Amino acid sequence: MTVIMDFLSMRSTSTLIAPCVDTVNSRHALCVFFSVGVSEVGIEQAVLHRQQSLPHRPVIPLVARMADQNTSGTPAMSEREASRLDKFRQVLAGPNTDLEELRKLSWSGIPRQVRPITWKLLSGYLPANAERRESTLQRKRQEYFGFIEQYYDSRNDEHHQDTYRQIHIDIPRTNPLIPLFQQASWQEIFERILFIWAIRHPASGYVQGINDLVTPFFVVYVFEYIEEEVENFNVSSLQEEVLRNIEADSFWCMSKLLDGIQDNYTFAQPGIQRKVKALEELVSRIDETVHCHMQQYEVEYLQFAFRWMNNLLMRELPLRCTIRLWDTYQAEPEGFSHFHLYVCAAFLVRWRKEILEEKDFQGLMILLQNLPTMHWGNEEVSVLLAEAYRLKFAFADAPNHYKR
Amino acid sequence: MSGGAELGFTEHLFKVLVIGDHKVGKTSFVKRYVKNQFYEELKTTIGVDFSMKVIDWDSHTRVRLQLWDIAGQERLRGLNRVFFKRSSGALVVYDMTNGSTLDGALNWKHELDSQVMLKNGRPIPAVLLANKCDETKVCRRNASLLEKLCQEKGFIGWFQTSAKENINVDEAAKFLVKHILQNNEESVKEEEQNMQINLKQQSKSNSTCC
Repeated sequence: MTVIMDFLSMRSTSTLIAPCVDTVNSRHALCVFFSVGVSEVGIEQAVLHRQQSLPHRPVIPLVARMADQNTSGTPAMSEREASRLDKFRQVLAGPNTDLEELRKLSWSGIPRQVRPITWKLLSGYLPANAERRESTLQRKRQEYFGFIEQYYDSRNDEHHQDTYRQIHIDIPRTNPLIPLFQQASWQEIFERILFIWAIRHPASGYVQGINDLVTPFFVVYVFEYIEEEVENFNVSSLQEEVLRNIEADSFWCMSKLLDGIQDNYTFAQPGIQRKVKALEELVSRIDETVHCHMQQYEVEYLQFAFRWMNNLLMRELPLRCTIRLWDTYQAEPEGFSHFHLYVCAAFLVRWRKEILEEKDFQGLMILLQNLPTMHWGNEEVSVLLAEAYRLKFAFADAPNHYKR
Repeated sequence: MSGGAELGFTEHLFKVLVIGDHKVGKTSFVKRYVKNQFYEELKTTIGVDFSMKVIDWDSHTRVRLQLWDIAGQERLRGLNRVFFKRSSGALVVYDMTNGSTLDGALNWKHELDSQVMLKNGRPIPAVLLANKCDETKVCRRNASLLEKLCQEKGFIGWFQTSAKENINVDEAAKFLVKHILQNNEESVKEEEQNMQINLKQQSKSNSTCC
């Protein structure tokens, strides 16, 4: 708990962390590795493509190769990447991790090799004190499986069956068409994680969209154990023990994330309504032309930005970009609950040219619901984050900083 | 709602809601209708998905349909007012293989009627879709039940549909559009009449109304 408090109270100092636009080697980010989370349009195109001619599955870029990772068979790290990884390893090596230092480093992206431990530390799941880590992990994993033992059988009880049924229905629809995410053992894991979370949080329960939020944690933690490509990776080939650990860790880290944004998912989703309103006010200040253009054609922010808030832009970006985005969200104080707003504003204004070219309501809506980010990688995300940071800085500490 | 009538050619723009419980096939229905495509698994809709369908209704009428595919879980979330407003018609979908979604469809209809209505105060036209009919059959008893429900709950009609097998998709939409066009014509006439009445009243006394 103290870790979380520390994490939240660091806000004022951390705003001074300078964002570093990480563009080096970003073309690697486009290397195809495996696929999930492409926009629906992408999937449709891929499916159509497949239906039309291809005898084999088209490969859609998924997590792709992060610019700063180095696994067997991939090009050697650049000097810069190697030195970044070294810095991370140094910070992580001590008996007490300097979380402030780790946050500063993580803001501009976390190397794949150290991402799992860094995410667990930054989210407050793991203690900064290295000696306490193993026992914490054991305790939390036991606690999670204690919940499963205690509650999971109740999923077919009358008062829980609606929740369970909805989760059960949504799981295959979380990352459709991706073999990894259609495997039974994967689906069971997600069902357990979501069901336990939902019944322990009756104020919100399970809300569609939360299912997406498990995926980045799960993928990042699976990556810890495998070196090869993951597109057709068989989840059940992992040792049972390992898989259980990944499941428990994903549950706790997702819970930490949701703790900060729970009012996004309570009745009438007030957090989302408030953030969409804030987005509208922010955009009206930073780009009046775009704002007025949308007003002119009667596009309401709720119509497109509801999803941006509800799914933390996961539906708008490929999964590899979400993972990179979350490096920064976990490094940034109130990243998911507050900084995300600035990212959404930067994201909208990023399309200003395309938006201004659309001259009617339907053109605007179709654009805004299908923004062409399929080929985005680290470079685009870094530029977006730097712009969001600039906006936050420009509007920070003004009491009504969204207001006109 | 309606564009100018140059040389007797009219273009209409209507907003149509696609509503119903989650996983009854709303998005699949829309994708079949708009793109003539079907996918076994689609991502869950979050908030609202927007699409367009242009219909050349006859030689002098074009209809642009804005289809608003509303997330199934949103019913209880208090956001529907924003998504429902100014809609001209609705497709209310349930899943024939899951009986409880018919109750859900009736709730959606109720919600719809409490949020939007035509200018004359009547409910907007809504068609009940018994979807996934490729997986089961409507027996005669069900058919008469649905018939009765339509009358009681104020649906203009019902269709058994399959987005998967492309059964009755165009027909159901066409049926709705026909009613929307009729309503549109009637409301234009009513407006003209009202305007005449207003003019008469205005000429009688100088009191202003409207």
